[in-house]
Amino acid sequence: MNRSVDVAIVGAGPAGICAAIETARRGARVLVIDENHTPGGQLFKQIHKFFGSARHRAGVRGIEIGRELVDSAVKAGAEFLTDSAALGVFPGPRLAVNVGNEEAIAVSAKRILLATGATENAVSFPGWTLPGVMGAGAAQTMLNVNRVLPGNRILMIGSGNVGLVVSYQLLQGGAAVLAVIEAAPRVGGYAVHANKIARAGVEILTSHVVTEARGVDRVTSAQVAKVDDRWTPIKGTEREFEVDAICIATGLNAMTELARMAGCRIVHLRELGGYTPWHDRRMCTSLPEIYVAGDAAGVEEASSAMEKGRIAGISILEDLGFIAPCDAQTERDDLWKSLEALRQGPFGNTVRRGYDRLFGDESRCSSCTSAHRGEDFMVGSAPRKAPGYPSDTRLAKGPVAVIECTQEIPCNPCESACARHAITVGDPITSLPRLDEDKCNGCGRCIAYCSGLAIITIDAAYSDTEALMGFPYEFLPCPNKGDEVSLVDRLGKPIARGRVMRVTKPMDGTRVVYAVAPKELIHDIRGIKWQAGGESQ
Amino acid sequence: MSDSKESCLVCRCEELTEDEIRQAIREGCTTLTAIKRRTRAGMGLCQGRTCQRLILAILAQETGQDVAELVPDTSRFPVRPIRAELVGDLRDGEDS
Repeated sequence: MNRSVDVAIVGAGPAGICAAIETARRGARVLVIDENHTPGGQLFKQIHKFFGSARHRAGVRGIEIGRELVDSAVKAGAEFLTDSAALGVFPGPRLAVNVGNEEAIAVSAKRILLATGATENAVSFPGWTLPGVMGAGAAQTMLNVNRVLPGNRILMIGSGNVGLVVSYQLLQGGAAVLAVIEAAPRVGGYAVHANKIARAGVEILTSHVVTEARGVDRVTSAQVAKVDDRWTPIKGTEREFEVDAICIATGLNAMTELARMAGCRIVHLRELGGYTPWHDRRMCTSLPEIYVAGDAAGVEEASSAMEKGRIAGISILEDLGFIAPCDAQTERDDLWKSLEALRQGPFGNTVRRGYDRLFGDESRCSSCTSAHRGEDFMVGSAPRKAPGYPSDTRLAKGPVAVIECTQEIPCNPCESACARHAITVGDPITSLPRLDEDKCNGCGRCIAYCSGLAIITIDAAYSDTEALMGFPYEFLPCPNKGDEVSLVDRLGKPIARGRVMRVTKPMDGTRVVYAVAPKELIHDIRGIKWQAGGESQ
Repeated sequence: MSDSKESCLVCRCEELTEDEIRQAIREGCTTLTAIKRRTRAGMGLCQGRTCQRLILAILAQETGQDVAELVPDTSRFPVRPIRAELVGDLRDGEDS
């Protein structure tokens, strides 16, 4: 049965749903089409806490955000057509949709929003088509949606945030991640994400590539080699890893098939993942009836996808006469401010440059070079000079928070977590958290709020020889009071033994484990390692 | 391929190797669309979602162009698989 609506949205991810909320709550007839069984896009795979500010739902796990968004969209009156793939765009505009493999329908719409997201970049090396070699996003779907571990001994290719976050989640799922292989000379993603897996003992090999995956019916081993500054593998540096899965996290590119079929102008912006439908600040493509949002309008992440979806929704409402142009502009300005806040800081450089090129504001690019990305960041390095690191004098006095947050990333949940206002991020939200060490009483409330798990507490006055240290812990099973655990350094190396004194109830999935540690090692111990039923190694 | 190492698969849906893509380019296929017509690369189940970037990189390397200068290939209905009998529904729908 054919349909006619005001707005047809392709893709029920964060961008599509946010656009649906904006348009449906103002009375537009909205149909959201998605090929997956449930709406939410990648949000339901994101079991980690988001970065950003309160407005961007920082500190909240993606799955929670997904649930809230779908609820709001349904309440606003948007209709979802799931298990339904949009097959093509035709003049009208009209969409051809395969509804549940039972029926093909045409959907006529006054405006079409393409929020189709992005697809994972492939890398080709001998053996990359063997079963067991898969996209990191695919592995994440198996793990977090279908609850199937993609392998037990896994190698991750790519150290961007996707590679780092999925590695952590694979560890949480019970797999061993043997190493993260990064061709570039440095880690691509956030230091806090890299530190999380480094503490769990995952090796991060920069300037390395996988040269070959081997196996008969499926992958059983991988050869890794160091590369020179021209990305050529260096003979004699090969290492063999016995694996049953290799995950590829080498970036994403926008899904542009529908935009290309519709005849939208396509531009190539390397900074945004490659081919991207040209669009203006209203998210309108070169065709006035077709809009684009989310990663389909340039690869970023979920929080910015939501804002891009809202902008598109507002612009469509404006087009259709649901809101006045001046009101639309006010709302868009506000959303743009929020979007720009997310793109602040050194990690936003690339994306900012991409959009400056798209919108023809290349003069703005000069501002990109000044920002500090934590160039000196090395996995496992001790950030004693970070503004969240208390002084030795303060440490000696008793319980205090230690914030190892060293990169200007857009994130500030720690600021609002502290009831005593001892942590300040301020504006911009990419500023490093500053600890007011006299206000901090080491209560540990901030530990579970930090999306990067970069905060611990230390009570160096616990006894003459011991300190009491509080660590975030997100693995199961969790040790109990009285258990003996390994105390590990920033690279996951056990350097002492400790006893668990207290374990908090989970705060949104994150527990704080307090363990006694040798006082002389408080600057080195950064985590615990524990296995149920005694330690095997 | 007399050499010991087999050439890497690039388009897995249509089972095309890197050597075959390079060969097509050397024989004059200097756009994605031309490579597609000549070899069927990107015409399988995934419709080029996986291989397009890999082929672009090879094409840029072979022709000495910047990837950004290369034009994407044409995208055609249906972008996802559909049972042939259902396509008829759509035709009826469009007529009414």
